Amino acid sequence: MRTSLIETKRIDDWLLGQDDPQEHLLMEVKLEISDALKEKVEWQKEVHGLIRSYGRKQLKAEIKSIEHRLFSSQQHRSFQDRVRAIFKL
Amino acid sequence: MNMLMQLKKRTREAQITGWYEEVFPAACAYIRKRGGQLEDAKELFQEAVVLYYEKHTRSGFLPEKAEAAYLIGIVKKLWLKNSASTEEAVSIEHIEIIDDDRPNLQHTERLLQFLEKAGRKCMDILQSFYYEQLSMRELSVRYGYGSERSATVQKYKCLEKVRDEVKQRSLSYEDFLD
Repeated sequence: MRTSLIETKRIDDWLLGQDDPQEHLLMEVKLEISDALKEKVEWQKEVHGLIRSYGRKQLKAEIKSIEHRLFSSQQHRSFQDRVRAIFKL
Repeated sequence: MNMLMQLKKRTREAQITGWYEEVFPAACAYIRKRGGQLEDAKELFQEAVVLYYEKHTRSGFLPEKAEAAYLIGIVKKLWLKNSASTEEAVSIEHIEIIDDDRPNLQHTERLLQFLEKAGRKCMDILQSFYYEQLSMRELSVRYGYGSERSATVQKYKCLEKVRDEVKQRSLSYEDFLD
């Protein structure tokens, strides 16, 4: 892996708490002295939040599509009847 | 998509379908009893499935009691949270609800829209690993990499690329606001 990717990996391991204690300590020292590294860590953290939002969005779309199928297909008629009976629809 | 990944996708789909068939009617009965409508039940159940799925993939969590009881517990907690009633909330407090508490949702949405257009493949790879928690082996199979090592390198390339794009877009967005 090229040097920048190794650094990206180290940041990730540090953020996720997957590095060993020695590496963790070393990273903390580097963060004390390098603003550039500190900035990368912050942006990488931001990306983790975005990945979670992206994953959630995909999952929600999948759930909605399953729900639509359950409420529209003949195969799930008894499920639809059960739910409609509850709401007296 | 190869057979292994088709199976994995079917498994998630089958699992969600099963939750609907088994638990959704009970969630509807609970919500109906408290004056809610079918649309409320659909919305809360979708949210409950997301929360349960995330808890399970993140920590391998499986409830001590039946899965159905846990899922209905989340629905109840969400209903109580939405209706701002605290009386019953205490009894199901052990169910943790993690909100999408990103402070600037509008900015997040803009970034996501940009990344969906400009970097969909990378976002798909990253969400498969970090959100779905696929192993590197599963990741290499899903995206057709020859080895786990190639998939690992690609994952970090994507992480670096997205990080730099997000930084650039965010800074220009801040400039725009200024």
